[in-house]
Amino acid sequence: MAAESSPFLNVEGLTIRFGGLTAVGGLDMAVAKGSIHALIGPNGAGKSTTFNCISRFYTPSAGRITYDGRDITRMPAREMAGLGIARSFQNLELFGELSVFENVLIGAHVHAGRSWRDAISARPRGIVEHVEQLLERTGLTSYAQTKARNLDFGHQKMVEIARALAIRPKLLLLDEPAAGLRNREIAALDRLLCELRERDGLTILLVEHVMQLVMSISDKITVLSFGTKIAEGTAAEVRANPAVIEAYLGREAVQEAAHG
Amino acid sequence: MSSTPLDSPATARRALSGPALIGLVAAALVAVALPVFTSGYVVYIANLLLVFVVLCLGLHIVIGETGQFSMAHAAFYGIGIYASALANRAVDLPYPVAMLFGALVAGAVGLFIGALALRMRDIYLALATFAFGEAMQWVFANWDSVTNGPNGLRISPARFGPIDILSDKQAYPFVLFFCLVMIGLTVAISRSRLGRSFRAVRESEVAAMAMGIDVRRARIVSFGLSAAIAGFAGGMFGLFQTFIHPDSLGFQTTILVLTMVVVGGLGSIAGAIGGAIVFGLISEVLRQAPQYQEIIYGAILILFMMYAPRGLFAFIGDRIREARHGR
Repeated sequence: MAAESSPFLNVEGLTIRFGGLTAVGGLDMAVAKGSIHALIGPNGAGKSTTFNCISRFYTPSAGRITYDGRDITRMPAREMAGLGIARSFQNLELFGELSVFENVLIGAHVHAGRSWRDAISARPRGIVEHVEQLLERTGLTSYAQTKARNLDFGHQKMVEIARALAIRPKLLLLDEPAAGLRNREIAALDRLLCELRERDGLTILLVEHVMQLVMSISDKITVLSFGTKIAEGTAAEVRANPAVIEAYLGREAVQEAAHG
Repeated sequence: MSSTPLDSPATARRALSGPALIGLVAAALVAVALPVFTSGYVVYIANLLLVFVVLCLGLHIVIGETGQFSMAHAAFYGIGIYASALANRAVDLPYPVAMLFGALVAGAVGLFIGALALRMRDIYLALATFAFGEAMQWVFANWDSVTNGPNGLRISPARFGPIDILSDKQAYPFVLFFCLVMIGLTVAISRSRLGRSFRAVRESEVAAMAMGIDVRRARIVSFGLSAAIAGFAGGMFGLFQTFIHPDSLGFQTTILVLTMVVVGGLGSIAGAIGGAIVFGLISEVLRQAPQYQEIIYGAILILFMMYAPRGLFAFIGDRIREARHGR
């Protein structure tokens, strides 16, 4: 695969220190174009810290992040949307008092100012249609005029994703999109993410704890533990890796697995 | 798809439903015909209320839309009053141009102060803008060559080409017209991409940033716009007032406008307008008993914070809805 030689998103030697604590130490990770790449690991492994560095909400102490051939290591977070990088938030950062429709419309902010007429319009041409499509795809059409804060948790998570998609991203960064969802909702998320990869050619990097989702959709999985990469590979490879089992379940579990 | 309620923002549709539309038309007729059947005093009050409406629109932009506290509104209002009065008298600009000049000066000062003060937030921002407001009142009271200092400034009649406006009734159509223009402008800003970015900043700064919104710029622009609209209100004041004293441009005025916006309902343009009218009338009645004025303002503000934190109109709306559903 040609994409392997020049990864779409490349993280080299990423190190993040908070005071004396090294949250992430020298992480290398390459995300191939058009793939779903998962970043997993036990609590406190540094996944979210890494995620926030890539989306530029944290600035790394050392290392380099390149996206589509461009060094983004020190770019401000607000420029990410314009480059085609969208993110969701682990603890939901919706515009709570605004309607679902307006939440997603604001997602299209970088596209809504192409002309004066678009900029002053409450319903900019082309963009409104795209927003409606996104609501349809995420199953939110009937909630378009509902205030985001009045939705249940599962739908709120979908609004986060729909809003991120309104950026028309090339790279979608999802921070625990399945956390707190019910099985039926996880299945819908699974379908949506696969469709985004297959039909829209999107590259997706997700931090996730819900293994059911990670194992089913990921092309590649990077496993972090205590801020360093302990394994990387396909779902099957990672699942069989003793270091991963040890990190998640402890040393005895590895010995049991070896004996039993 | 065609049945989904996406064709227009919900608020716009609700505002134009049957009874509301009749009410709106009736209000418009009364407003237009007011000078014909009432006394000069009533028209004076109407003029004053319309100026308060515009002041509230300005404050709505920064507090209601963007969620940033400003305690300097009276200062921008004052800048608008002095700047447009001087431009009309000293440079002999036609009054509408002088009003725009007043708005521009106030807006420019607002942008500058915003760029400095908006590094802070919440109570610190409130304090910084409060300090600026106090400083400006001191400037108004002491810059004798421009404001005539503590003696107050006589405002010469507003001049529209050959016409001089000499009475409240003469001024009223202009005041009403400019007020409607500012309402239209505020609605347009609120519905635009800029207005959406303001609300995004109010609701979640981190999410706004992730959507590509320059949060700092949005906050400063909203502060500047708010100041410009307050400055324009100052120009409207000069259309019918003949005298301005620095005492009326202090913290009390800031609090009065703030109370109007909160009483009407934070975050809604209709609330800001309604709050200006309802509370403006209350404050005019209280003028008969000035010794109790501040106490009653305070009491009203506290009662609203406790029982109707979303404002008068949301409160009435909720009661009507409850009554309809038989509770």
